[in-house]
Parts: sequence; structure tokens; C-alpha cells
Amino acid sequence: MRVITAGILGAGRIGKIHANNLMAMPGVRLKAIADPYVDFKEWPGAAIATSRDPEDVLKDREIEAVLVCSPTPSHAEFTEAAARAGKHVFCEKPIALDPERVRATLGVVERSGVKLQVGFNRRFDPTFARVRRAVVDGEIGDVHLVRITARDPAPPPAEYVQASGGMFVDMTIHDFDMVRFLSGSEVEEVHAYGAVLVDPAIGRAGDIDTAVTTLRLSNGALAVIENSRKAVFGYDQRIEVFGSKGGIEAYNETPAQTVLRTSAGVRSENPLYFFLERYQRSFVIELEAFFSSIREDTQPPAGGEDGLMALLIGLAAKQSLLENRPVQLAKLASPGSKKAG
Amino acid sequence: MKPTTVGVIGIGRIGRMHTENLVHAVPDAYVKAVVSRTQVDPAWADALGIPVRSTNVDKILKDPEIEAVVITAPSGLHVELIRRAAAAGKHIFCEKPVAFEPAPIEQAQAAATAAGVKLQVGFNRRFDPSLLKMWQGVQAGEVGDIHQLRVTNRDPKAPPIEFVKRSGGLFFDFAIHDFDTIRFLSGSEIVELFAVGAVLVDPEIGKAGDVDTAVITVRLANGALGVIDCSRQTNYGYDQRFEVFGSKGSLVVENTTPTTVVASSKGGVVADTPHENFVGRYREAFIAELSAFVAAVREGLAVRAGADDALAAVKVAAAAKASHETHLPVRLSANVQATSGGQRR
Repeated sequence: MRVITAGILGAGRIGKIHANNLMAMPGVRLKAIADPYVDFKEWPGAAIATSRDPEDVLKDREIEAVLVCSPTPSHAEFTEAAARAGKHVFCEKPIALDPERVRATLGVVERSGVKLQVGFNRRFDPTFARVRRAVVDGEIGDVHLVRITARDPAPPPAEYVQASGGMFVDMTIHDFDMVRFLSGSEVEEVHAYGAVLVDPAIGRAGDIDTAVTTLRLSNGALAVIENSRKAVFGYDQRIEVFGSKGGIEAYNETPAQTVLRTSAGVRSENPLYFFLERYQRSFVIELEAFFSSIREDTQPPAGGEDGLMALLIGLAAKQSLLENRPVQLAKLASPGSKKAG
Repeated sequence: MKPTTVGVIGIGRIGRMHTENLVHAVPDAYVKAVVSRTQVDPAWADALGIPVRSTNVDKILKDPEIEAVVITAPSGLHVELIRRAAAAGKHIFCEKPVAFEPAPIEQAQAAATAAGVKLQVGFNRRFDPSLLKMWQGVQAGEVGDIHQLRVTNRDPKAPPIEFVKRSGGLFFDFAIHDFDTIRFLSGSEIVELFAVGAVLVDPEIGKAGDVDTAVITVRLANGALGVIDCSRQTNYGYDQRFEVFGSKGSLVVENTTPTTVVASSKGGVVADTPHENFVGRYREAFIAELSAFVAAVREGLAVRAGADDALAAVKVAAAAKASHETHLPVRLSANVQATSGGQRR
């Protein structure tokens, strides 16, 4: 297996996870990490070059692939810079909150002839990948309904909410991508109801914390997503795809698979606490897929168009909530941007 | 105290089931008469010990011994039968739908009120042990404030097209139970909804002007949001799942199965599919709703599923149909009464 040299921009929470995963990944050599705000005293150790200057990664001729894990406002800029430097890019979602900015970045990537993968890690979760396989293999027939329940264990601070672009583009964006990925179909229309039921501060920041979103898909199927910023019992991540021959459902995953029976009741474990725990394996598998697409010169399995489509659906949901009417996607998407997940 | 004497009007599939339940499982009821448009099978009536069988409804309505009637005749006759039974001073249990429009339901309700008789409607789910426990949990504050409710309602096999044509459509015939379930569990009213329907199971259903698949999202007066997903055909049994999610946690009702056997082999781990249809899934509920009706008659209690519930559910169904047709969210008028959910006058 050809060894690919990689660099990382951004050593925050997700950057560290990716770095640690790459250090243990065969066929990848993590050479350098840059972050202007991290002192790198404790981590990652002497084997990896560290810098406060992103240019040190971008200008390193040995580095073939760059992971953009910086704060969202710099994603597009770093993705473009890395692409211009001829490096393949893995970018955390979202590339940008403005679709025009995303389109511009995708243009730069295309002209540079490099690969771009977007961090839709859930596509690589073994459980959800199994759900997708049931659809692809025809086990449940034609898709009629996709149902997603996605609830966080605790709401983010109101300041985060303000910068996040709102629940639909920050949180539900993953669910929009899952609907596209699992159904293999495009979203044509969105209707969203939202409410502030968890934390009034989120409402004051102009966002919602509870939502139900209805989607119409191009293959005729319907989808519905339930979101909440706070499920006191843990990270609630369930998906069901229902079709002409039956349905397949993914349950929550738990730290241990036990059932405790006492006179007080029959008790199972709470779900894994949050996304770092629940999707741990998916973070490894998505990077394996990224490096394998470089090695074998294939399309990355979650590309820039997927990032753009999920963002457009999120913006349509936002508009639907604001105007209280269903919003057609065709009016938002640019011509030629339709490509099934 | 001697049993309450009952007559059953309409001996189709549901009529037979209710009659058998009354005879076998409701000790406080005595079924004296059954009336049907076509001849009732005498062997069946003999076996149940029902002396009066007739094709004339007056055999029930004019019998002074009969205190209560169970109306399981075709839907189109419900309102007229309620009015006549009320005029005859009989307490009434009527299968849903009472009617497809608010006005006749209001007339039926007025007739029952004027006559001072009970009128219970066949919203059987309110009497299901699992949903009842869920409701009790909500009342006890186990989920805290309700934030979201979810109902999954899917039939095992699409009904015959002839049934679809006279059913009133998916929103009135099928999702009506879901509208009532949301009202029942939340104790709140639906103030707005958005419904999308699709024809994915059988194109004939589409040609008959109906849909076979639907997603309905609702806004409740208490601020919570709800989701209903419906399909006319699962191929794996009757899929009935419910979830109430709130500030302190959630309550979930899963499917029930005929047996609890799990077969593990190289090919996989296989459990029973859910019950084949509503008869198996809601067996206890069908008995409990009649027991509760008879108890309401005997003890002068309030019915737990009344004409006002039927009225509210029909208004929601009409809004859902309008939303599907106009492709827009629909607000429900404020004249839908707020209720306490389970117990009522």
C-alpha cells in the first residue's frame, strides 16, 4: 500500500481526533499539524511537526493531502489554498454557510484537479452503512419513507448557536445528508416546524432547539426528521427506512449491551453520550475511505456536491420555518448540481 | 346487580368481534339482540346465547329492556342510528367514524345530550394497556414537558380498492386514529398541521383519489411538535409505534407480537413479525373500551372517548386533507376545545 503524507489544519477537538486516528492508520504518514491557537506542548509528540502557521502545511511539497479542521469560517479559504497547492482535501462540514462561497470553492477544487471529501462521517458508520446496503440490495424494495430521530444530549451555548448558522445547517445538515445517502434520491421540497422548548436563550439568539422537518424526494418517497438539542437520556440517533418490501431500523448504540432486571424494572443502558462516542468508528472509516480514494484515484464517497446539497436543504428548511410554507429545492440549487448520494 | 342489556346493530367483521367480546369478556353486559341488514348466522348467535336476531333495527330500539346499543353498521348510517337510538333513550357506543364532517357529528352529539344518554366513540387505542400506561406516565410527569410526539401507523396490506373508495380516504379513515392518539397522549389540541401524501403502494389507490403513504407534522397548543407517518402496506404486519419525548425523557411503545420466540441461526436472528392486524394488536383494547362503556352506563361515569373527540379528530383530518391538496400548512380554527386528554365529562 502506497504511503500518503498528510497534514492537518486546525487542532481543536475534531482535528485532534483525526490526528490521533491518522497516527494509527496504515498507509498514511501524518507529517505536520498547524494551528495558530494551540501550543502543542503536551501533544502530539516529537514525531509530528507542529506549527502556528498554516503555510507550513500548505507549502510543504511532501504533503499530498490536507485535512481542514479549523473553525468553520476558514474552511473555504483553507480548502481553496490547499487545492491550489495541488493537495487533496478533506474538509469538515460545512465548507461555508453561504452556498455561493461553497460553489466558488468547489470551482477552485475542480480546476485544481484534486479530490475533495466532506466530513459527513455518518455515511461511514457501520450501522448506517448496513441500512444503506439494505436499500441498495433491494432488501426493503423501493424506498417509501425515511425517518430520522436525531437528538443531542445537551444544547450548545447560545454564543455557539449564534455563529453556527442555526439548527438546520449546523445539526440537521447531517440528517439531510443521511436522507440523500440512504434513499439515493434528491430532496425536492422541504417543510419545517420549529420551536424553542429547551432553552429560551437559544430562542433569543434567533434559533430553535426543537424541529420536525418533512421532505419530499425526487423518487416520490417522503422523509421526516425529528430534532432536539436536548435528550436528557443521551445522544438519540435512530434511523428507519421503510419500503415496498419491508423496513430496516437502526437503534441507538450503548456502551454495553446489558439489560438489568430488578423489582424496579428492566433497565437497558443509556445511549452513548454524544457524537464522539457514538461515531468513533465512523471517523476512522471516513478517513480510510478518503485516503483510499486518493490511492486508487476514485471519487471520494462524500464529495463537495454532497456538502452543497445538504447546505441548500438546510437553508430551505430555514426559509420554510421563517415563511411557514414548503420550499422547493429546485429554486435554490444551481443547474447541474443534482447528483445522488 | 343484573347485567346491562345490550343490542348490537350491524354484524359485519367489527360487529361480530364486539359481540363476541361482550359475551365472553364483559361480564356486566348481556347481549340480548343483534340486528343486521342481512340474516345473522343462527349458529353463531346460538353459540353466543343471543335470543333476538333480526334485520329490523326496531327489534332493538323498541325493546324497553335494552339499555345500550353498539353501532357497528356501515359508516354512512352511524349518525342516523345514533339519533334514533338516542331518541329511544339508549346509551350508545358507536364505531368510528361517526361521520366525515363536523356538522353531523355535532347533531349526533346534540341528540345524545338532549336524550341524556352516553355516547362513546370507538377510539380503541385510548384503552390499549401500553398507550394507557404511556398516558399515565405523561400525566405523572415522567417525560416532563412534552416536546415531541411520534406515531407510526402502518397497515399490513393495502385494503381492497372498493373499501378505499368508500372509506373517506387515508386521512379520515386511517390517520384519524393517529390524530386522536396525539390529542389523547398530549392532552393538547392540534392547532396547525402540514400533510404530504403519496401513492407508492398501489396506483389504483391513487386513481380512486386517495393516497397510501403520508407524513403529517403538527403543532400543538402546548407548543409541542408531532409527527405521524402512515403507510397502507408493510408486508410485515401491523406496525404501531408511539413515542412521547420531553424535557425529562421519553416513553416509547413498541410493536407487540403474537409470540416472543426468537430464532437464531446462521441466517440471522429472527423474531415474530408484529400482529397481523388490528384485531390481534388491540385485542385487550377492544374489550376494555366496551367494559369501560358498560361501566360508564352502569355507574354514570364519563365516557373516555366521546363525540367531542370524534369531532376534533374529524376537523384535524379535514385539515390534513386540505393541506395535502393545497400543499400548504393549515391552521385549525380556535373552536376546537382544549381538553384534559383522558378523562372528560
